[in-house]
Parts: sequence; C-alpha cells; structure tokens
Amino acid sequence: MKSGAGRNPPPALSLDEARRRLRDLGYLNGGVERFLFRRAFAGRGGLFLPAILLGAFAAAIASLAAVETAEAGFGESLDAAAALVVHLFFSDLAIAALFALLLGFAAGRSRAPAGAATASGLAAAGAVFFLWIGGAWSLSREIPARALLWGAPVALAALLLARAVRTGFLARAYAHSRALPSRRRRRVFLAAALTGVLAAAAIFTSRGRPAPPPPALPAPRGGAVVVVAVDGLALDVKTSDALSGVRELLATGATGWWPAKKAAPPEVWTDLSTGETPPRHGVRALTRVRPKGSPIGLRPPLGTAWYLRRLGPALRLVSSAPVSASDRRRLAFWEVAASAGLPAAAVGWWASGPWPGAEVVGNEEILAGASDGISADRRAIEAARLRRRGGQQVLTVYLPGLDILRDDPNPERRPEALLQLHRYLEEEVSRAIAGQGALVILAAESHAAPVSLGRMVVFDGRLPVKTLAIRPEDVAPSILARAGLPVAADLPGHPVAALFPPGVLETTTVPTYGTRTAPATPRSALTDREYLDKLKSLGYLN
Amino acid sequence: MSRALPASAARAPALSRAIEEAVLSPGKRLRPLVALAVGEIFRAPLPAATAVAIAVEYLHAASLVLDDLPSMDNARRRRGRPAIHVGHGVATAELAALALVARAFEVAAQAPETPPRTRAMVIGELARAIGAEGSCAGQAADLAADPSRLTLEDLEGIHARKTGALFVAAVRTGALTGGAGEETLEALTLFARNLGLAFQITDDMLDLTGDPERMGKDTRRDAHRANFATLFGLESSARLVDELLEAAVSALSPLGKKAAILADLPRVVRDRQK
Repeated sequence: MKSGAGRNPPPALSLDEARRRLRDLGYLNGGVERFLFRRAFAGRGGLFLPAILLGAFAAAIASLAAVETAEAGFGESLDAAAALVVHLFFSDLAIAALFALLLGFAAGRSRAPAGAATASGLAAAGAVFFLWIGGAWSLSREIPARALLWGAPVALAALLLARAVRTGFLARAYAHSRALPSRRRRRVFLAAALTGVLAAAAIFTSRGRPAPPPPALPAPRGGAVVVVAVDGLALDVKTSDALSGVRELLATGATGWWPAKKAAPPEVWTDLSTGETPPRHGVRALTRVRPKGSPIGLRPPLGTAWYLRRLGPALRLVSSAPVSASDRRRLAFWEVAASAGLPAAAVGWWASGPWPGAEVVGNEEILAGASDGISADRRAIEAARLRRRGGQQVLTVYLPGLDILRDDPNPERRPEALLQLHRYLEEEVSRAIAGQGALVILAAESHAAPVSLGRMVVFDGRLPVKTLAIRPEDVAPSILARAGLPVAADLPGHPVAALFPPGVLETTTVPTYGTRTAPATPRSALTDREYLDKLKSLGYLN
Repeated sequence: MSRALPASAARAPALSRAIEEAVLSPGKRLRPLVALAVGEIFRAPLPAATAVAIAVEYLHAASLVLDDLPSMDNARRRRGRPAIHVGHGVATAELAALALVARAFEVAAQAPETPPRTRAMVIGELARAIGAEGSCAGQAADLAADPSRLTLEDLEGIHARKTGALFVAAVRTGALTGGAGEETLEALTLFARNLGLAFQITDDMLDLTGDPERMGKDTRRDAHRANFATLFGLESSARLVDELLEAAVSALSPLGKKAAILADLPRVVRDRQK
C-alpha cells in the first residue's frame, strides 16, 4: 500500500525487547502464571510434562542428598552421584506421571482451582523435603552439619516443582472448566522452601552429630588379648557328640551370655566388634545396591527400595554390592587398639578393611579360597596363627565355618568342622590358662533360634567358672579394657569386670573413639560379583 | 442483527443490499459476542446487551467496508465474497458504511431497559472507538505510515486504534449495560487491549500463512509492508500472541469465576484460521 523504497529497514527486535516495549505500552502486564495459558492449549499430554520431569528430578536430587548425607564419600564420586540420579530420575518418572494423572483428575473437578493448585504445589514440595529428610533419617543416626548444604539444591528443586505443579494444575483446571487462574503466589512456595530447610536443620540437629575422628589414646597398659569369634556355634542345641567337646571346653571359662538376635551375620558381628548398635555402626545387610554405572554401592534411601531393591535388579539395571568396611561408621576393637599404638590384627571379620597400624585380612580374602565351611575356618585359623607368631597384642579371628555348614546336607561335615574348631580352641585356651594373655571366645548364632544365646567366654589365667548375663554391647569394651585401653564413655556398653581377673581391666575412660570416616572406595563390578558369587556358593544370600 | 437494519432504504435497493451484505456476510461476530458475554457477566438486561452488541457489529461492518475501499486497502474480497465496493461500487459502499455507523448509534441510543446515562456512556464509548482517537485515527496512521520504518510503537498505535479500540468498546459497553464499576471496567479494558493486539498479530500471521479460500479474503497483501509477523517472524509473533492472551486472561482475575465465559475467547483468537 505504501512504499518505503530507499529507506533503511527497521532494526530487528528481539523478543525480550518487544516484551519490554509492549509492557511500556500497557500490555503483558497481567501477572498471569507463566506458561499457564500456553500449557492449557497444549492438551492433556503436555499439561503436566514439566511437573513430571521436575518431579522426577527433584525426587532424585532429594534421594541423592539423603545418600550423600549418610554415606561418607559417596558424593565425592561424581560417577556414583550421577548414576544414582539418572537411575532414580527415570524410575521416578513413572511415579511422577501417576501423581500427575491424579492431579489432572483433581484439577478437572476442582471448584477452587487456585487454592487447590497451591495446595498441590505445597504437597509436591513437601514430598521432596520428606524424601531428603526422611531418607537421611532412615539411613543414619548421626547427620553431619554439611548435610544442610544440600538444603539449597533440594529447596530449589522443590520450589521449581511446586510452581510447575501449581501451573499445571491451573492449566488443567482452566482447560477443563474455564475456571480462571488467580495470580501467582511466589511467596507461599518460597516460604514453604524456607520452612523445609529450617525443618531439616531442626531435625538433623536433633539427630545428633557424628563423633569426631579418633582421638589420640593414652598408651595401653594391658596384656595381649586374643579374640576368637565363632559364628554358627549353637551351644544350646542338643546335637551331635562332636559339639559336646567344644561345649565342655567352653564350660571351663567365665561366661557372659545374652539372648541372640536374628539378623544378617555382618550386623550381628559388627554389634560385637564395635560395641555399638546397628543404627550407629551402620552395618545391616550382607549386600548393598549398586546402580549400573556407579562405582560405589549404597543403601537405598527412603522411597527408593521399590526400584533399587526390586525393579532395578529384575531389569538388570541394579546389581548387588557386598557389605564393606566403608559401611561401618564406628571403630572395631582392633582398630581402636591399632589407633592407640598396639600391634593388632584381624582376620576374616565382616565389614573389615585396611586400617592404619592394623594388619587386616578381610572376610573376602578368607572366603575367596574357601570351598566350604571347613576350608573357610582352616584358612582363617592359619591366617590367625601366622599373625600370632608376629606378636600381635590384639589378635582376632572370625570363623564362619559352622554358619556356612548350617544347612549342609552332608552330616559328616559339621562334626569335622567342630573337631577342627575344638583343636584350635584347645590350643588357645591352654595358652590363656598358662598366662600367655587373655582369650575371649565369642560364640553367636546369627540365625538365632528362639532359645539361642550369644556367649562371651573368657580364659585369662586360672579363673573360677561362672556364668552371668551381659549385653552384647559389653563385649567390645571388655576386650579393649583388657588390652589396657581406656573405654569410650559414649559406648552403650561397659567392661564386665566379673569375667576377668581382678585388676586387669583398664578403668579410665575417654569421651569417644570417634567416627570411622574411611570413604567409600570405588570397586569394580566384577570384583563385587566374584565376592557375591562366593557368598552364594557358601550358602549366604539364598 | 438483520431485524435491526435500517428499513428506510426501501427506495434505494442497492444501498439496502450493500448494507445487508456488509452486515450479514459470514463473519466471526467476535466483537458482539464479547459484548454479549460481558453483559451476561454483569447480568445486563438481554435487550440492552443485544442492542449494544448489534451496534458494535454494525460499526465493525462499516469499518470493514471502508477499509476495503480502493482509497484504503483496495481489497477485492471480504468474508469469502467480493468486497462491497467491488459488488456495489465505491459510492454505494461509502454510503452503506455511513448508514451503518448512523444506525449503530441509533440502535445504541434506543437500547431498551437502559438508563439514559448509561446510553450516553455507551454512545460515548462507541464514538471514541471509531472516531478521531479510534479506528479513524488508526486507519489514517496506517495510510500515512512508511512501512519500511514502522516501529513496534507505530504498529501498536495503528492496531490499538484500528482493531483494539472496538474490542475495548465491546467489553466496556457490554459491562456498562450491566452497571459495572470503574475498577471492573479497567480490568476488562486490560483484557480487551491484550486480546485485541493478539487478534491483530494473529491476523498478520494469517496474512502471511493463511489459505485465501479458507480466510475468504486476499492474503499476503501485507507481505511487503511491516507488520508484527514481518517484524518479529512467525515464531516470535506466535509467542507474543500466547503471552498477550495469558495477560488477557490474567486481567480477568479480579472478576473471579463469573468471568469464565470470557476465558474461552483467547482460545478462539489463537486457534482461528480465518
């Protein structure tokens, strides 16, 4: 209609500039929920897509925060963190989509969409905080202060999710019933996010802080202590004659007993080696989970077991990882001794690993060359004898043979194992009676029968035979006190003086032995697989 | 709409036909629908709201007849039919437009069940919409504009007056017949301004991409001159339309649920193909 030949064309405007200038002209100033209207036009499929994606992402971040809070060193492995987030993101998509469907249903029928949308957003944000706080709570009794650093990303994820849910809700309500949105309530969600972080701070603070690293301990004044831990030794069961020899031998010592508990062997024996309860020492099951791509295993936080324990393994996306020393957050007695400068050695214990000053032969190493319970015990006993010659002040060996043979169909095997055990114990008992140091025999049945008892039998010179009830938490303090180490005041148990000769137990205390902070170390999936296969072949994990 | 047409054109059958054709040709009737919807929101008497809606549509029809004239846009087709000036001649088209404007004010002035003060306010709104501050000003600016140097502000000024003003008048007059207060009128004005601009940008986009048969008018007549679609491109224009419609809906928030009837209109604007 009009000609502009010979004139310069108008400068191209960016969209942002156009928006700014239109606002100056009195447009675009409605303060509407961003993207709401567009999303309402996008149809049901696209309606909650941002909420679904953000929901899955926020849940994954919250779970990662929980794991990182409870598992020292997990977050230091970027591969592990990334693998966990990816796994949980994709698995949470299904959950988020389900919730989105419900939200869509509710939005289409809501008579007060503005309020309901805000409530839905708040609920979504609350769920994210719940996954974080509840996950950390369920995984660890003690939560470090650094856990609150996760407050920022978790709060941001929750905030974004809340807004996406609210907008999606309003868009659906609008598309369905033409109910109009009200203005945004940014501050409501901001306040909710802030409340979530403050709640986390309060809850985490109430949970307690991890003990500091092990302090320097005074020089020990006690003598040598040998600790023989025998798993599967059910002395209260009337069985073969082979058992009677061991029973009679142990009956000559000073015995403390406690009702045995039914739990996985690593948990039962870590109770005894640390003097702590499972929530504090952190060792529970034989295995952890290992999402594909992660070099580190982990314990599933709250709300993730359905995938990490069930669906993931079924789809071969998640494998198992054996329990390891990095799961343990409290020092075992041989680690305390080594930290105090005592020569110490440990053979065959669950969840044991390298420790400065201690010679440690792990459970994995003992079982690797064992074909059955008898050979497992033989390897452990040989390793212990070897360390004994090295003059260890605190020496301990864990014998898994009888537990491995518990369900062995061959009736000849168990007596053979008992005979091997009997000979070894006789050898150690005779030394102890001869005054060559104390011997503590721990007998426990992790597949506890209703009447099964755990026992700590002490041989320390010539002691009168006696039997008394103790607590499993008393075992580790007793061993440490006998080795001349002051006992940590924060341990729930105490040395049982009645089971030892008068005056041999150290009576001083230190506030704590600290927290075991060895970080989770990456392991190859193949190594884990081999260990797990061995455990399976020996009757574990069935 | 047809019953309200001027009956006194009996001795001028060509003019009568031109007027009827201008009013009754198949259009979207978006503006009268807006006026009626707003009237319903405020429980305006139906005869009053209908009168206002008719007046608005008559003014719109008149503006289209004038807009198509050879001296203006020189369009050949409108609403799938030859433009009025093509079918009836330029002089008859001009007379028909003038007659429609007059009839619109007559209908508004005779709106039943409407207090005199409200009638006066309605007439004032309509006059502003098409007068020297409204469509006429917009058309004049459009004619005078150098398309190669049009700025966003120029375009907005043209569209706000050519298109937006009548949208604003439609909602405000509909609300006035229902006795709406000033605050509500402000909200509705905001709604109509955003809706009107979105409507015009969509029009610009359809001019570039629409099917002439489906649209019932010539397309790509604006391709050589600046409009929103050529200034920003189709994608950015589409986003601006979305955002304007969002702003329009948001502006209705103070009206609460009773404004839901208007909330459907943005979808019509956005998804229209003609």
